[in-house]
Amino acid sequence: MSLILDISNSMLAEAVLLISFLILSVFSMFYNVRYHKLSKWIAVSGIAFALVSLKFLRLEPVYYAFNESIISDTFTVFVKALILFSSLIIILLSKKNVTKRNHKTFQFYTLLIAGVMSSLLVVSSNDFVTLTVSLEMLSFSTYFLIAYKKGYLSKEASFKYIISNAFSTAIYLFGVSYLYGISGKLNFNAINDYFMQNEPTLIYTFAVVFIAIGLLFKLAILPFANWILDVYEGSATSVSAFIATIPKIAVIAVLARLFVFILGNSFELPVILVILSVMTAIWANILAIRQKKILRILACSSSANAAYMLFVLSLVSVYNLSTVLFYLITYVFMNLGAFAAIIVLENSNYGLKLNGLKGLAYTNPLFALSFAICIFGLAGFPITSGFIAKFYLFSAIIRSGAVFIPFLIILAMTIVVAAYYYTNIVAKMFEKTDSQDNQIIYNSTTSATVILYACSLITLVVGIMPFALLELCKFIAYNL
Amino acid sequence: MDLRLLIFSPIIISILFLLPIFSGKHILVRRIAKLFAGLHFIYSLFFIIFYNVDAISNFDTEITFFGEKWLGSLGVSLIFGLDGLSLLLVLLTSFLVLISCIASKGSIKSKHSLYYALIFILETSVLGTFCAKDIFVFFLFWELELIPMYFLISLWGHDFAKKSAMKFLLYTFIGSLFMLCGFLMLYNFNYISTSELSAAIDNLNFDYESAPIYLQVVASILILLGFAVKLPIIPLHNWLPAAHVDAPTPVSMLLAGILLKMGAYGIIRFNMQLLPDAFIIIVPYLVFFAFINIVFAAFVAFVQTDIKRIVAYSSISSMGLVLLGLCSLNAVGITGAVLLMLAHGIISSGLFFSVGVIYNRTGTRNINQLGGLVLVMPRLALFTFILCLASMGVPLLISFPAEFMIFFGAFISAVYSNYYIQVVALVSIIVLVLSLIYLLRLLHKTFYGELSERWLKVGDVVTHEFIILSVISSVTVIFGIVPMSVIIYIIPAIRNITDAFGG
Repeated sequence: MSLILDISNSMLAEAVLLISFLILSVFSMFYNVRYHKLSKWIAVSGIAFALVSLKFLRLEPVYYAFNESIISDTFTVFVKALILFSSLIIILLSKKNVTKRNHKTFQFYTLLIAGVMSSLLVVSSNDFVTLTVSLEMLSFSTYFLIAYKKGYLSKEASFKYIISNAFSTAIYLFGVSYLYGISGKLNFNAINDYFMQNEPTLIYTFAVVFIAIGLLFKLAILPFANWILDVYEGSATSVSAFIATIPKIAVIAVLARLFVFILGNSFELPVILVILSVMTAIWANILAIRQKKILRILACSSSANAAYMLFVLSLVSVYNLSTVLFYLITYVFMNLGAFAAIIVLENSNYGLKLNGLKGLAYTNPLFALSFAICIFGLAGFPITSGFIAKFYLFSAIIRSGAVFIPFLIILAMTIVVAAYYYTNIVAKMFEKTDSQDNQIIYNSTTSATVILYACSLITLVVGIMPFALLELCKFIAYNL
Repeated sequence: MDLRLLIFSPIIISILFLLPIFSGKHILVRRIAKLFAGLHFIYSLFFIIFYNVDAISNFDTEITFFGEKWLGSLGVSLIFGLDGLSLLLVLLTSFLVLISCIASKGSIKSKHSLYYALIFILETSVLGTFCAKDIFVFFLFWELELIPMYFLISLWGHDFAKKSAMKFLLYTFIGSLFMLCGFLMLYNFNYISTSELSAAIDNLNFDYESAPIYLQVVASILILLGFAVKLPIIPLHNWLPAAHVDAPTPVSMLLAGILLKMGAYGIIRFNMQLLPDAFIIIVPYLVFFAFINIVFAAFVAFVQTDIKRIVAYSSISSMGLVLLGLCSLNAVGITGAVLLMLAHGIISSGLFFSVGVIYNRTGTRNINQLGGLVLVMPRLALFTFILCLASMGVPLLISFPAEFMIFFGAFISAVYSNYYIQVVALVSIIVLVLSLIYLLRLLHKTFYGELSERWLKVGDVVTHEFIILSVISSVTVIFGIVPMSVIIYIIPAIRNITDAFGG
């Protein structure tokens, strides 16, 4: 009885996804090429039902399920909604990538649904066992998704991802074992209570630093950042969109919870994380200057954006958390818009090289305008949501104290570098080209085009009228 | 009189221009653009009629979205208002946009609807910058101006336009991010001392407890860096000659006429008005930089062979004078500086236009290849002569009262010890007299001397060019004779600043 109650109060979305996962995996044994459309609709309806089911979860008061190992509150529901919404977009984007290898359609969607489900579990986990298991599930589905594309590059990328992920997981587990050794508990609340009563020791510091650094892998922060370029380039574009958004949202959410409950008692941890994120911002932005492919540029930019968020997230306060959430939401939409544009380009004659963009603004003005809005949003130029997000994030850093002003100035410099390469992408679209063969974009990727328009519209509207989203983020952050 | 209409009507027109119905119809687009710019200028003239000189701020207005403030939870709202300083700069902007729309006829040959759309986005952002009464609204419009300007330079420019446009973008962007850090510090000071989230310029207050003087100095320097790039102050000036040289003529006119003024406006509005105590501390160094600006730019202009570069460096030199006027920290000097801002806006855009005409006719801007053009272009020579004289500060032309007041203000300034600013002003006057040679050299090498055979068939100014040059020249003469008509708007606007400095 309590099992059903727990599931219906806290894990309804995961249960729905599990059902669609099972249906997909059973179907993948029997059905062949002709039914690839069916698989897509099963996945889409699974996600849609999961989104609807979020409405029935218990929010107030905070609900703990399965011996406090699963938590359900406003924050988790909000983050889950964001994850499900972006995964819906990703499924709609991945049509072309899938039909190219249509004998494995069902497997692709199965893996994708598994990834989404485990990232929902990451968000709602309230002890280290659940967190570890769900993180590993997320990683496993990601390995195979990366290797899904044909060719050598994707296998290499997948292998790199496996190796660095294994290393980071080892570090994370090392930290967890130390923490368990000190406190004898694995539950977040219990550990929090323990450190309320007992003074943190040096081993505690080591443990939290190891845990935090181990979790940084999915965000591509510096000690574990070198996989990101190859993985973005090697994997299918919609898989890159998946890696750029969903694990990142999940890990940021769980880091926010950990910072509040467990990692907050250490003075050294914010210092280390701030330094790491500043280093990552410098590294990623400088690396992006010389890149000739759009996907590699976006890889660097995703690493840099994660660094900005981590910087603010590590200086724990309610205000900072609300800025991070706002930044996360706007970033997800801009990024998905950019990926949609890339998928359209990939399936036309333009290709994925920077120089391939030449003349786009004259042949496809509306497409180029929407793409430019997403890119300018990533760069943080005004009347896009990126401007408000950057401004809000900076205000959080200033608020955290005058000590951080030098770091802020360094971040500002890196943002200028970022503005250079983002503007370069847009400028390329306005360049004249001699070749006549790449003129009008195919109409075969309608869904991606529509998603691009929608994302750029959201970017603009939030940039002009951000107050509703700001209020929402404040409310959510206050509720954690 | 609705300030919202004044600020946001250009961007609405620009969205209209981006619609596909206007593609290819370049004559229609240009006519609509000129008509709209003209109406906008006339509308802005109404503001001067209804302006109340005694009020601190006129035409205050706030934009809400369905009753919500723009960033209500952060205390930021879209409020606009005009004081004397903003009013004059708004008029200048509207006037110069009209002039450059007319001037675009000869030099813009492709993508007309996009061009005018960008010009009007630029106009909205500049007007918003000058009218904003909230720090972050100011910053929003300040940043918004970057994108249209980048495309205006890179798409219609010549030679190394893409590189120069990127240089402009990056220099300004890095400055503005420093500025943002400074603004956020101010915002935080206000929050600490009043525990209220507010970023309105008029409501901002902080005491020494919440904002120790060293932090105020840091904030002031960070904000100043943003304006120093725009002004430009010399180690940060590198973008300006490049952008000017490679931009098309109307865009250089806007760049010199309006965009450089934003830097000086920002220094007055933020560094001097909001952080007077910190400004007193950094002002001796600024005097030094002003001196470097005046002298170095004048000497660099002296050795250039590109006409546009000469005019660009003379702009930098003039901006040094503006900075010197501001540093005198008394009513006379600051009024002179504001007057010189306006004067330079008009003169330099006129000079850039005549340079553009020469380039358009001959295809070169190298003064060694030109010469004797007065024989074929007598009217252009006359107008250029007037503008050069105005730029030198000859009496009865508009920059004479300005420069006079700047130097007078510097000489009576009582802020510095050991006659520091007096010595700087004296040396600058001597250098300025010497440096007039570069303008004379420009005139001499282009219009006098022997006429090369190549330029025999070069035509004089045509109607629209004649109109532009005669309007600009008559403005320089009229306001040179009656500068008081402008000064009465400046004095009340800077009164609170001069009160703060006790001058």
